[in-house]
Amino acid sequence: MKWFLIIVLITVIMIIARAISEQYKEKYDFYYNLKDFLNQFKINLSFSQSKIKEFLDKINSKKQFKIFIDEYKNFLSYGKFDLSKIKILEDDEKTELTKIINNIGKYNAKNEMLQVDAFMVSIDSKLEKAKQDKQKLCPLILKLSLLFAIALSILLI
Amino acid sequence: MLKDYLERDLYNLIIKNFSFNDITEIRMRVNENLIIVVRNKKFYLKDDNGEFIKCNTNMIENFIKKASENSIYAYNDNIINGYITLPKGIRVGLCGNIVTDGDKIVTIKEFQALNIRIPHNVKNCSLPAYEYILGEDVRNTLIISPPGAGKTTFIRDFIYQLYQHNVPKNILVADERNEICSVVNGEPALNVGGFADIYTNCSKEFAFKNGIRSMRPDVIVTDEIDLDKDLPCIIEAINSGVSVIATIHAKDLNQLKRKANFDKIIDEKYFSRYIVLSNDEGPGTLKNIYDEKLNCIYCR
Repeated sequence: MKWFLIIVLITVIMIIARAISEQYKEKYDFYYNLKDFLNQFKINLSFSQSKIKEFLDKINSKKQFKIFIDEYKNFLSYGKFDLSKIKILEDDEKTELTKIINNIGKYNAKNEMLQVDAFMVSIDSKLEKAKQDKQKLCPLILKLSLLFAIALSILLI
Repeated sequence: MLKDYLERDLYNLIIKNFSFNDITEIRMRVNENLIIVVRNKKFYLKDDNGEFIKCNTNMIENFIKKASENSIYAYNDNIINGYITLPKGIRVGLCGNIVTDGDKIVTIKEFQALNIRIPHNVKNCSLPAYEYILGEDVRNTLIISPPGAGKTTFIRDFIYQLYQHNVPKNILVADERNEICSVVNGEPALNVGGFADIYTNCSKEFAFKNGIRSMRPDVIVTDEIDLDKDLPCIIEAINSGVSVIATIHAKDLNQLKRKANFDKIIDEKYFSRYIVLSNDEGPGTLKNIYDEKLNCIYCR
């Protein structure tokens, strides 16, 4: 029975640790997709110049980035942009994203391109930070959690 | 239709006070009262407390944002020509700060005013002139009127009348601003019958050149010609055996005579009919018809 409880305890701790570390991965994926989205938008500006709604319909997205795309579509239809469902982002990151969304589509293609380039500088730095966090913190959280689980198990024994 | 573009409160206020079927223009100017034009009469829009509705920058920018579907870049070719065309042929004229790069107009920013022009089908409005335009063939005809006097409505109805009277002509419509037929997803939102092949959002030069080559038109119909710019392609079409029906801005024939290149048109008798429209009894009122020698053959 004791051994069974220990196994359960370790499993629960590791699941929690994985969920926490997953957030860093998701954040990295989010910024990676956002950068890709802006790159595709630049290509759109250079060639087909599809309207933003048509452009969004062509974007394949999943997980957190899908929430972002869905919210963007809502914003275009109803003028409301609510990023509260994206849990992985800090408030200042949400504010910056809202600013980006509010400004896309306001200018001619040339100025739009310059604006997207400026956004990408900021997104690049966030992507780099998310990448570092993912590389450093994910294994660290998993290792520390395992150590914590083992220590707790030893105490219980 | 405008529900999708105007702010909800403003839209509700407008439909509370006016019938959309009667409105021909909605004018907004920054820091000025909003004006609704109904059959050439101007009204200031008032709220429920009797206060005039004043326009502001936000109101105008929001309208343009919605009209361009949040994609100004996709509409910039139109914007630099001073307008955006909405579905159903609604044309939004734009004024603001013109941004240039050398001689080239890049865009318009800091919008100061807009004029939403709502077209109305005036059924059979071209019928009084129908017999004058249609002889053995469709005569080359120039429709003359000041802005807002129903030129586009007139030619739209004439295209429809050819279909209605079963005059089986291939009609090429060079619809530069998508106002004549208002094509949305390949389908004309305004009724022009079944004989029309339509080029939208392209220059007259392109439509005339390519249309004659590829669509074998009997008649080319186009709106708001510029005698300086468009005359060569019109002459080319006429000399190719294609009839041309075009419209031009002028109050009357005397004013038209003062335009550059008009002498050439008269001397060479490019047009057989000159039809003058006015606003006297509402848009599209037929005033005079002249023949190629400028003899009045129909006088009101």
